Amino acid sequence: MNLILGGGDVGKTTILDAVGLLLSASNAATISEADYWRRENTDEFSIEGIVSLPLSVDPNNFSVQLMPWDWNGADAVMPGDPQDGDVPEAKHPVYRLRVRGTADLELVWEIIQPDESTIALSAAFRKKIGLIRLSADDRNDRDLRLVFGSALDRLLADPAIKARIAKKVAEQDFSGAVGDAGVKALEALDQRLKAASLPSGVKLGLTSSQGLSIGALIGLLADRDGVALPMTSWGAGTRRMAALEIAASTQADNSVTVIDEVERGLEPYRLRQLIGILKSTFGQSFVTTHSPIAIQCSAHADLWYLDAAGAIGGLNREKIAPQQQRDPETFLAKLAVIAEGPTEIGFLRRLLRLAFKGDPLDCGVRVCNGQGNAQMLALLEAIGMTGLKFAALADDEGVQGGRWGVVKAAMGARLLRWEGGCTEEAVLRHLPEERLQEFLKDAEGGSNGERLRTLADRLGLEDKSLPAIEAKLVALKSSLRALIIEAATGKPDGSPEGKRNDWKAHGRAWFKSIAGGDELAGYALADDVWPKLEGSVLPLLNAILTSVDRPAVEHLNHV
Amino acid sequence: MSDASVAALLRSAEPLVVIEAPAGCGKTFQGAAYAREASQALPQGRVLILTHTHGACGVFANRTRGLSSRVDIRTIDSLVIQVATVYRRALGLPDNLSTWAYQNDGEGFDIMAIKVAGYMERHPIVREALARRYPLVICDEHQDASPAQHRVIMALRAGGARLRIFGDPLQAIFVSGSKSNTAMAAALSRWEGLKAASAFDVLDHPHRWEKGSPELGRWVLDARADLKARRPISLVQSAAAGLIVLRATNVAQVRTAYQVCRDDRRPIDAAAAKEVMVLAASNDRVRGLSAFWDRRIPIWEGHTRSALADLVRTTREQSGQPVALAQSVLTFAGAIGVGFSPSSHGDRLVKEVREGCARPARGKPAHIQRIARHILDEPSHHGVAGALGELHDLIEAKADGFGDIKIVHRGELRDAIRLKAFTCPDEGFAEIARRRSHALPAPPSRSLSTIHKAKGLECDNAVLIAGDQDQFGDTDYARCKLYVALSRAKRRLTVVVSHDKPSPLFRLA
Repeated sequence: MNLILGGGDVGKTTILDAVGLLLSASNAATISEADYWRRENTDEFSIEGIVSLPLSVDPNNFSVQLMPWDWNGADAVMPGDPQDGDVPEAKHPVYRLRVRGTADLELVWEIIQPDESTIALSAAFRKKIGLIRLSADDRNDRDLRLVFGSALDRLLADPAIKARIAKKVAEQDFSGAVGDAGVKALEALDQRLKAASLPSGVKLGLTSSQGLSIGALIGLLADRDGVALPMTSWGAGTRRMAALEIAASTQADNSVTVIDEVERGLEPYRLRQLIGILKSTFGQSFVTTHSPIAIQCSAHADLWYLDAAGAIGGLNREKIAPQQQRDPETFLAKLAVIAEGPTEIGFLRRLLRLAFKGDPLDCGVRVCNGQGNAQMLALLEAIGMTGLKFAALADDEGVQGGRWGVVKAAMGARLLRWEGGCTEEAVLRHLPEERLQEFLKDAEGGSNGERLRTLADRLGLEDKSLPAIEAKLVALKSSLRALIIEAATGKPDGSPEGKRNDWKAHGRAWFKSIAGGDELAGYALADDVWPKLEGSVLPLLNAILTSVDRPAVEHLNHV
Repeated sequence: MSDASVAALLRSAEPLVVIEAPAGCGKTFQGAAYAREASQALPQGRVLILTHTHGACGVFANRTRGLSSRVDIRTIDSLVIQVATVYRRALGLPDNLSTWAYQNDGEGFDIMAIKVAGYMERHPIVREALARRYPLVICDEHQDASPAQHRVIMALRAGGARLRIFGDPLQAIFVSGSKSNTAMAAALSRWEGLKAASAFDVLDHPHRWEKGSPELGRWVLDARADLKARRPISLVQSAAAGLIVLRATNVAQVRTAYQVCRDDRRPIDAAAAKEVMVLAASNDRVRGLSAFWDRRIPIWEGHTRSALADLVRTTREQSGQPVALAQSVLTFAGAIGVGFSPSSHGDRLVKEVREGCARPARGKPAHIQRIARHILDEPSHHGVAGALGELHDLIEAKADGFGDIKIVHRGELRDAIRLKAFTCPDEGFAEIARRRSHALPAPPSRSLSTIHKAKGLECDNAVLIAGDQDQFGDTDYARCKLYVALSRAKRRLTVVVSHDKPSPLFRLA
């Protein structure tokens, strides 16, 4: 299962269309010059796919011997000549299929042999590969009708059935419904035809115009309160599930399923059910989605991310799995900004609101939780491998410097990693001494007992009053700033036996929450602090702005 | 009677069945009947009948008519070419494989077969793709398979195909280097090895002669047994109805010619009067016999065109060099006919081309100039084909100085003239080779043929000229060739043996 993700209009459906066209079981698809790159139909387009054929697909119907390529794990290659030395045994036969849009607006399906010669790829053969296609548009009932190559057609697997149905329908006698006057008119016509030596013996029956197959009119009916209703008139979700069930009952492993907007028309519980069917029943599927639920329950799937520039890259399943479970929306944003923890989320949100002069989410910029330094690094690496655009804010915990260096080189201004510390330190470091005490006050101007408690604990004081703390600090020749930073970051060093976890939790009383991050951003934006931070923070904000086609700003209007 | 046991063995589940099949014992009938039956029973894929000659393809095609979607009949060379073509870039082979293969007397086929055999042995996906298309492979005349071709066939088995192999070690006249005793011995021991590794049976009923002379059929089988045991064949008295022994000594002075005295000639003429296939041991002898009957009996050219392959190669290499092209026309004309020699026409042709037909001429030299101008105007294969077309027209018109030229290999000349229509000679040659493979021409009802080209064919009447010491010496190769010659005719076989130097393979007294 391949889940193709990405923002709007980046080309996800185009990828599904390409797969769909390549394996389409009919030659009826038409193309126009709008399907060509920049409408230049003199430049051909081609869609190529490398497939392995299951044993049930017999390639012997071709008049020419079909010869395989070898799959080396990344591409189709020719097996080496053993006369050139010890070449690896070729064990994985694959075939290259191609559909070309020619300069004459025609579609040509072919198989590419290892010598680049081609063999025509017949519709009958493509039908055997068995494409199941659920598109996002509302005319999505093809598979419920007896059209060539549809799921229903394959289910019945009887090439003569349409002819027999047509014959049966043609035998219907409509004379009863015509009425006496009609019968007389027909008889008169018959006489005239006879007199003119034209075909005679006329009666009414079902005829179709050219190109309209009787199969298109024959479809599944299902019972609803005693009335047979066409399946096609059920809801979108039900139609899709039914089409998949039909397909599932015919072929087990050799099909390719293409589903646009898998969540369409389905409640979360049915969506989970459908993804379960896909996982258990079908060969290979290509799915697009806008649903975090679909992403969350596709733990077995390969995720592909299509960025705003149209580049696609695979995401390393292991590295992104935690993010996929906890914050699947990360993968649905136009630009995801990975923030290391709640502090950074609150901090960034506030700054981004100012930069965007509104909610960045409106522009598809989502600030996501990176779940801590180590997991975030893995996630950024997975994303970075694909060359996709993400932004991030991270702390420097003094570990994995090399890996972070690689990520930074790839992401440039889109990654801000505080030098030698964390967000709290970066801000507090620049706050004037006299304002430090503001942290120890609550909203009403009283003392913030919780924060004072963490400071007192760290000094081993029973008394958490500020004077007591200050007195102890003087005695220790230590500063209030250093103590606040230690408490705010939950530094556990020096904690008494059994208190280590308590000390670590101190951060929560300070800024280790989204609200805390927001508060911290407020201090950062203060006139006496911002000029010292602007140099490192503004490039990140501007990188985010420009990534979503918004103009960069010279100054953050933080008033 | 082994027909029933052979039929049962073919239809068994054995992965490898080998049938020793003397000529005319119903091998083709058994093979084709089995192919028909099996093709209907195969759940998927086709039956592949692998032969060594296009002639044999034709015979099988007749017997399996209407099954072309389930039975493929092809030469093993064409199978090898097909695999080699698809993977030629990996195998380091050129793009124009079919032309390339024919060069240097078909040496390319051997190189290709060795490469393809190694490739199929190494890569499961290659042999399995072939075996999947052809789950059942019937091999005809397996004794003619080279070691590499044998490996290709065994690789098909490794890929999962069932093999049914027919062969006759006594007909191994195409083994490469077969004229040497060691090569023959190696081929025979390969055959014995194959026998030992398989389910094996022998066909022993002479079906070919049933409607002709059954007695002749039994005699041929007995002769085969004698040859196999390296005993001479008795021609003492008319041993069988339909077997005629004529005594006539070749009195020609020229080594390649054939000439007998008038009294000896009369019965030979009578034997060759009606529908007949006159068989000779060598190409030289065939040409000699063609002259013997004043070219009234057409030569069966078989399916190979070595002179044309050489012509194509030289025209490609020498394109733009009129003199060299004139030389190639001369060589080609010498190979396909008589009377167009360097002294009679060739030297003059080369001279005219070199001098650009500068001096006006009349009569024969003027005709030669007409040929030369084609090459001067277009020093490429177009000019060469045009020159040969001109030559052909002059001969037909019996023009001055061209009346004595006889075209022996008409088909080959026709094909060479056709090259004109192609933009590149190699492409033309490949196309001609392809057409020839698919057209399956049959020999004329009255024809002259080498034993090699007659192999796989049958006829009512055959005349073998001559069963002499110089044609059939005391070697296994000669024994095989003799056996092939003796086993072609269904009704009447005439063997012409000289009075003084009969072949040691015969006992006449």
